[in-house]
Amino acid sequence: MKELFPAKQVNGFVFSLLLTVVALSVYFMDMSFELGMTILLITAFIQAGVQLIIFMHAGESKDKSTIYTSLFYSIFIALVTIFGSLLAMVWGYM
Amino acid sequence: MKIDNTQPLEYSTEQNEMNILGFWIFLGAEIMLFATLFTTYFIYADRTGSGPTGADIFEITPVLIETFLLLTSSFTIGLAVNAMRLQRKNATIAFLAVTLLLGAAFLSVEIYEFMHYYHVGAGLQVSAFTGMLLTTLGTHGAHVTFGLFWGLFILMQIKKDGFNPRTANKTFIFSLYWHFLDVMWIFIFSFIYLKGMM
Amino acid sequence: MEFFERFAVPHPSPLIYASMVAIGLTILAIILGITYFKKWGYLWKEWLTTVDHKRIGIMYIISALLMLFRGGADAVMMRLQTSVPDNGFLDAQHYNEVFTTHGVVMVLFMAMPFIIGMMNLVVPLQIGARDVAFPRLNALSFWLFFAGAMLFNISFVIGGSPDAGWTNYYPLASNDFSTSVGVNYYNWALQISGLGTLMTGINFIVTIIKMRAPGMKLMKMPMFTWSALITNAIIVFAFPVLTIALLMGTLDRQFGTALFTSTDGGMDMHWANLFWVWGHPEVYILILPAFGIYSQIISTFSGRNLYGYKSMVASMVIISLMSFLVWAHHFFTMGHDAFTNSIFSVTTMAIAVPTGIKIFNWLLTMWKGKIRFTVPMLYSVAFIPLFTIGGVTGVMLGVASADFQYHNTMFLVAHFHNVIIPGVVFAMLAGLTYWWPKMFGFMLNEKIGKWAFWFITVGFCFSFFPMYITGLDGQARRMYTYSEATGFGPLNMLSFFGAGLMAIGFVIIVYNVLYSIKNSPRNIGNDPWDARSLEWATQSPVQSYNFPVTPEVESADALWDQKKKGSQIFKGKVEKIHMPNNSGLPIIMSGIMFVFAFSFVFYIWAGVIISAIAFFACMVYRTFEKDDGYYIPVSEINETENKNGGAN
Repeated sequence: MKELFPAKQVNGFVFSLLLTVVALSVYFMDMSFELGMTILLITAFIQAGVQLIIFMHAGESKDKSTIYTSLFYSIFIALVTIFGSLLAMVWGYM
Repeated sequence: MKIDNTQPLEYSTEQNEMNILGFWIFLGAEIMLFATLFTTYFIYADRTGSGPTGADIFEITPVLIETFLLLTSSFTIGLAVNAMRLQRKNATIAFLAVTLLLGAAFLSVEIYEFMHYYHVGAGLQVSAFTGMLLTTLGTHGAHVTFGLFWGLFILMQIKKDGFNPRTANKTFIFSLYWHFLDVMWIFIFSFIYLKGMM
Repeated sequence: MEFFERFAVPHPSPLIYASMVAIGLTILAIILGITYFKKWGYLWKEWLTTVDHKRIGIMYIISALLMLFRGGADAVMMRLQTSVPDNGFLDAQHYNEVFTTHGVVMVLFMAMPFIIGMMNLVVPLQIGARDVAFPRLNALSFWLFFAGAMLFNISFVIGGSPDAGWTNYYPLASNDFSTSVGVNYYNWALQISGLGTLMTGINFIVTIIKMRAPGMKLMKMPMFTWSALITNAIIVFAFPVLTIALLMGTLDRQFGTALFTSTDGGMDMHWANLFWVWGHPEVYILILPAFGIYSQIISTFSGRNLYGYKSMVASMVIISLMSFLVWAHHFFTMGHDAFTNSIFSVTTMAIAVPTGIKIFNWLLTMWKGKIRFTVPMLYSVAFIPLFTIGGVTGVMLGVASADFQYHNTMFLVAHFHNVIIPGVVFAMLAGLTYWWPKMFGFMLNEKIGKWAFWFITVGFCFSFFPMYITGLDGQARRMYTYSEATGFGPLNMLSFFGAGLMAIGFVIIVYNVLYSIKNSPRNIGNDPWDARSLEWATQSPVQSYNFPVTPEVESADALWDQKKKGSQIFKGKVEKIHMPNNSGLPIIMSGIMFVFAFSFVFYIWAGVIISAIAFFACMVYRTFEKDDGYYIPVSEINETENKNGGAN
């Protein structure tokens, strides 16, 4: 039975629950918008990393360099699109 | 078909390796798909017209239940792949079935949530904000729905054929998809719900 | 009858009725012809169900050529309409529809399938692979594109064409201002073909990463393969943006949401934002494969290896990232503050640098080379100065403050035709001529080809250079007519004259194909151009399995190495070859998708539901299907190779 619940996965799960609780603090505690967003950004990206590396085995195959390149490329472009669009449509829009 | 026995079954043929790599690249495209939804949502988040704002309509309880269900299902699909690598057919099927049940539960809560929005006057056509909120959640929900059927058919194939390079490959790819949906939910949870209720 | 009224064209004219008759007669003629010659079985078995990358490539290129003539007809109509002041050949509504379909057809249904067709034909051969990574998906990609293209093309005889420009800006594209179903067609046709394109992107990245011949390191890939890799990376990350934008457009038009409205918080300009987040990378999706083709051709016909291989690769990688950083330069005049416009202005000018590096590399490749002025080389040589003019005017447009003068004038129209025609169209014509013998086993006639080249090039200059001047003088784009007092008349007439020359050039190309089918010699060997890369090492036309023996290479110029340095490409023995089976599923699924989209355009919900169920049923069938392909035995390979006097 123990081999069906390897420590790596169980710890990953517990860790992701913990991160969710930390993220929830922005709802239950009174804090500034900036602090709240910082907490959310940190917890969300760590969560994503936990999923990718522990659960999705992103680094295990022969093609890991291609996989990571494609992931980083897409994350880079995703961030450019989000912040560039916010710049074009909200912050820099008169 | 050359089978490489030094690799886990899901990587054991050249075609299998290509399928997995191809799916990773597809996930790159999915990241952009959701990034576009988030982009638009962030721009529209305050453009509520005469409709309600996020803080008016979001409820913490269903969102927490959904988050817990999806996080757990992401854990169990990980266990299913682990069991598959141990050649434990029944355990794999059991974990896969639990994953799908949790997914179905997630979906029912989400449907409840949508009905709630409709009742409090946040339908699809009310404002740019409600329209984009429901489009973003709906796209994620449609992915989960698709995953439920996909997972079910894979489960049937494992049951019938056991583990072979084909079924193992499909199961592994499905697990990638399911984890990815969980990652996207984390971002929805953080930057749509919690940010909106802050 | 009420049901059928929705299919009527809202703004008919004799031209449209004539096209209806013409389309009907053409379809009838094709069906009767195939039946008469009893070719249905052949067509189904060998082409419609094929998963062979070469045949899919040929089908892409045939579709692209057909669309080139459709879009070309639109172009000539526009030039005719504006050739004299106050012309009444087209009215405003028809002119709107014509420039809209011209843009969409040329960019998405001509240029895209042309480059994807070229990649299909050439990339697996250049890397020594048997096929692409996912042959069945490749067929599905093609048929989805084809379904989208056909859906778009029937719009002008059933229900009305889109009329809001190829950029389809809101609020113009909303139900209020675009009352026919035209924009619904736009949304669904692009959605379907976009899906196909995304699948192509994934397919080719995996093919190039995983299926290269032994010895072909990434930095030893031929330049066209490199450009294909980068292009497909851009496709994978750009097309999802379009998917969402089109989805939002559909929701607005067909489900009454307020996403791109100017009421209830909606933001019409966000469509422009999303469109160009996809649209600007799309420009580089078109141009990078063209750069790859030019690199191959210039190197071959200069008799030298490509100058600055590493800088070529580096500049493409930089372009691929930067292409996502410049999109807001398409709407400098929207109302940004100076800071925002400055950022996008600077990135726009910066992206000209890697492109400039490539121009110098081509020039230095030709430097001291023994240049052979064949038809492909003529196009490549003409490309360099013409494209540079287009690039320079692009930098002019990139200056945000000056753009307020150029924006939405004919200057802009001249600029982007000046990059796309010498950049993409010339490359496709050059590539088509260059790889034609590899596809079909005979060459296109050089003499006739040169005539076509001169007509197209000279016609291009006459068509588009006058637009720079009228644009600076204030002629707005998309204006269906103008008064005599503006003084735009003579230059527009010149432009029409140029368009006529180009049209003659394309007719000459068609004649050349027919002439060459009849008259060209067939015993041309594997390598008629004395070329350098791996695709020329196998038979012309290529056999279904591509290479009888897996090739082994030492550089990007594998065949050149074999010819000049004596290194062997084919070292191994002939072994049985694994091949994928043909499948009817891709064309059936795409047909269902066509019905789905058509029903959606016209709000026929029963059709939508039934076809959606049918589509998912096909996917279920596919997941339970067990298809391991088949093997070609050694004896059969040897027989084919001996019969054709092959490489071994």
